[in-house]
Amino acid sequence: MRTMSRCSSLRPLLLALGLWLVVSASPAPVLGQDQDIAVIVHRDVPVDNLPLTELRRILLGDREFWSAGMRVTLLVRAPVARERDVAIKQVCQMTEAQFRQHWIGKVFRAETPSGPKIVYSNEMAIDQVSRTPGAITFIEKNLATKAMKVLKIDGLLPGQSGYKVH
Amino acid sequence: MVERLKIRRLARGGQGLSAALVAAICLWPSAARAQGSAAQSHEHEATGDVREYPSLKIAGFGDVNFFATKRVEGPRGFNLGQFVLHMTSELSPRVTFFGEVSLSARSDAGTGTPPATGFNTEVERMILRFDYSDQLKVSFGRYHTPINWWNTAFHHGQWLQTTITRPEMIQFGGRFLPVHFVGALVEGTTPAGGLNLGYQAGIGNGRSSVISRGGDPGDTNGKRAYLANVFAKPNWAFGLHLGGSVYADTVTLANARVFSERILAAHVAWQKETPELIAEFASVRHEEAGSPATTNHAYYVQAAYRLPEPAHLWKPYFRFEHIGVDASEVVFATVLRLDGATVGMRFDLSQYAAVKGEYRSWTRGEGTVRNHGGFFQVCFTF
Repeated sequence: MRTMSRCSSLRPLLLALGLWLVVSASPAPVLGQDQDIAVIVHRDVPVDNLPLTELRRILLGDREFWSAGMRVTLLVRAPVARERDVAIKQVCQMTEAQFRQHWIGKVFRAETPSGPKIVYSNEMAIDQVSRTPGAITFIEKNLATKAMKVLKIDGLLPGQSGYKVH
Repeated sequence: MVERLKIRRLARGGQGLSAALVAAICLWPSAARAQGSAAQSHEHEATGDVREYPSLKIAGFGDVNFFATKRVEGPRGFNLGQFVLHMTSELSPRVTFFGEVSLSARSDAGTGTPPATGFNTEVERMILRFDYSDQLKVSFGRYHTPINWWNTAFHHGQWLQTTITRPEMIQFGGRFLPVHFVGALVEGTTPAGGLNLGYQAGIGNGRSSVISRGGDPGDTNGKRAYLANVFAKPNWAFGLHLGGSVYADTVTLANARVFSERILAAHVAWQKETPELIAEFASVRHEEAGSPATTNHAYYVQAAYRLPEPAHLWKPYFRFEHIGVDASEVVFATVLRLDGATVGMRFDLSQYAAVKGEYRSWTRGEGTVRNHGGFFQVCFTF
């Protein structure tokens, strides 16, 4: 009776030890994979893969067309959002102030008629992308579903090792 | 108000806790001004139909200056710079209108004798553009002549540029390079294996008989001006912009003398702010039938550096510039020579306003007396 009682008191400890062994034996997660940002586009966009440098050209307004018939509509989260931060700092290699000044100058030079369109949530971004031909935006990886068209960046999807948008 | 609207939108989006957190940040006065409302000034909320036609948007620039020089040359004391309104409107998915109007304080803008002071209104740019693709865009109107990088990069936005004034070779109202161009332009860009090449080619009226002015009401002669420029923004050196241009025109002066004009120009700009480097060179050749040609040249080199945190709002800068005019020049007879150096500091008051202070020292060619002065500017965009 006493032996059984001792075993039951050890059970949680053994479970914890087992769990620790399982976790420590599994491969270590690649840095940043859980924080990847997915780049999604409207279904009709005739592109499946973009080099990171082309994604930067789109974010900076240097590329305005997907093809001769379809204009890019860039949707960017409002300041404070991590999706915006990643797009500006990782992809454009700029600060928030430099990104704003870049777009003010871009419009002022008459190179493009307007700056990025602002969206206030991932839900709003997903909704606008689904309804706007040529639209592109950035959302958390976990919110991307099979119903969305997620672009490969440099041949990789978010979550894959080596994906750079995070 | 803007912040409150943003909060309501977030609440509708059903983001719960994150909405509340962002709302708290937005209601924090300084954070709200620095982040929420600022983004909405030049980026626009995506509405039901993300693109609407027409979609008029207005932005602007302004500046107030203070000049003090040892010898009088130009304005003294406080001076209102330009008040500039910039309009853009998408008329359809492929057709866009750009307009720019400036109001400039002048000592002779008003009526009467002597003329009263006042403001001159000027249509700086008016462009209607058809975009076929990234490789082909066609436009008509009045432009800032795209043969000088500074002339098209900063236009009338003093806030956009690091220094208080433009280099003198491309000064507003200057004569060395034609600042404005009336006509048609074809332009485009292509990735070109990471070189990101661009081009512009144009035909237009060129200079009027007052050579600082473009041919707004029509050309002064039957010979149009032509221009072409190519540039590259390579991926392997993100931030680098380099290019060259050529411009050809026939200039008819007020006294009916006719000169052919050919301009060759080149630029290199490193646009990242740590450091910022800009250098431009232009050579202007004039030739009158039966007379030897004259060649004039100008250049400037500018360097700036945005200081690291916590002094990142400060940006010291330096510029050296030169304008050389041939002794037998007729077209540039009134263009002043220049050898000048500028050293200054820019401080960003906010995301959309800055103050600048600088010291300049210059001469107007060999044997002239050196002049120097202090300059101050408050500039902003709205």
